[in-house]
Amino acid sequence: MIKKLFEWLLSPMGRVAVLIGALSVFSLAAYGIYTTQQPPEQPIAFRHDIHVNLGVQCLYCHPGALRGASPGLPTQNKCWGCHQQIAKTNTSPRLAVLKDYVQNNKPVQWVPVAQVPDFVHFKHRPHIAAGLNCETCHGDMSKVEIAENPQVMNMGWCLNCHRDRTADNVQNNPDNDPGVSALLHEKRTKLTDCGTCHY
Amino acid sequence: MTSNLELPVFTNNSEAELGGKWGMVVDRDLCTGCQACVAACSMENNVPFVGETDMAYGRGMHWIRVERLWEGLEADYQEVKMTSYQPLMCQQCHNAPCEPVCPVYAAVHSMSEDINLQVYNRCVGTRYCANNCPYQARVFNWRDYTDYRPGNTADNDPSWSVLQNHLNPDVTVRRRGVMEKCTFCIQRIHKAEDTAKSEGRDVRDGEVVPACAQACPANAITFGRIDDPESMVSKAAETSRGSLLLEEMRTQPRVTYLAGGA
Repeated sequence: MIKKLFEWLLSPMGRVAVLIGALSVFSLAAYGIYTTQQPPEQPIAFRHDIHVNLGVQCLYCHPGALRGASPGLPTQNKCWGCHQQIAKTNTSPRLAVLKDYVQNNKPVQWVPVAQVPDFVHFKHRPHIAAGLNCETCHGDMSKVEIAENPQVMNMGWCLNCHRDRTADNVQNNPDNDPGVSALLHEKRTKLTDCGTCHY
Repeated sequence: MTSNLELPVFTNNSEAELGGKWGMVVDRDLCTGCQACVAACSMENNVPFVGETDMAYGRGMHWIRVERLWEGLEADYQEVKMTSYQPLMCQQCHNAPCEPVCPVYAAVHSMSEDINLQVYNRCVGTRYCANNCPYQARVFNWRDYTDYRPGNTADNDPSWSVLQNHLNPDVTVRRRGVMEKCTFCIQRIHKAEDTAKSEGRDVRDGEVVPACAQACPANAITFGRIDDPESMVSKAAETSRGSLLLEEMRTQPRVTYLAGGA
């Protein structure tokens, strides 16, 4: 029985069958990986590129990033503040979704794309205070249509930046000042400490 | 055969570094044993209720417990003087016995805050640390006590419990097989440090109040910087009434107990 099967597999027909099988497994795996890399479907197909190119600041809709841990996602009232003054809001079919949310007073349940696991306590404020721009981590949103995450946000990625920015080297301490060196060392201790993010 | 692996070396550098950063003082004469600290701690830190059965197995979970020390019972009941209470939490030892025994470095020492950490996502649940803790301050999650599935809400999952709304978002919800213990409310320490930094100043004395100290109606618990000689906690610890638990073991705990009247 088994011998017969092997003989059939070695025949031209069998080889084609093996090839088709291998290809289908490979393409299923590729499709699986592809689906994990897709941005999630949002309740409103909000175009980041249009809004950023119109000159809306990141902090206008995500103001919590400046002072708090979480930047926050805008409510429908925030959208309506501008959109009620725009004539296109009444005509565009894409904006009818927003009108529906506002008129029925439904909360917009945005799907966050840049997330860290539950056991990581990330705070936006210190990162903004350290002079980082939004696009350093979140990418250039003026080229992104529906919100997507450009980074794999894992611990190695966090620590690489923390180590680079606190290394006692020519870039961070050009004059080889012992005071700056001590400060960098203290920062490095804090920024590579487990308890800074995991608690 | 030589190896290039750099293994961490555990040395007792305790005599050299007695400084410390955060410390606590518990006044046993003021403590009435009301258990408010236990309740507040469980609420603040998402410590689960394990239920009767698991409690009977000795799997109760408390980051702080109130020990009762009966005094004067040796004669007869008329001679009973008083019950002395001793709230006991992780002592945040400088020379901690739990740390060197962890095979996966989940029990590590925070170099910046100088307290003991438990890194939940690293912990594999060998329970060596709890067995090596002379204060029995560590507790183990024998089950998933909190039905926590990220992303689920009452809308899409009927088994979702409304009680999940009581969870503190600043503290990780621990899962089964993970060791945990008192963190000196590190989330409050970070919050105070963050606020102070955004206002360009140092953390004020008394700005960080752990949940147990906040809830204590008798103000028996004081918390603050022990490296600042002017802080409330340093002054309280300096009095002759102070003592450290199991001091002879050289664990150098950061909690000082006051007892013996004024």
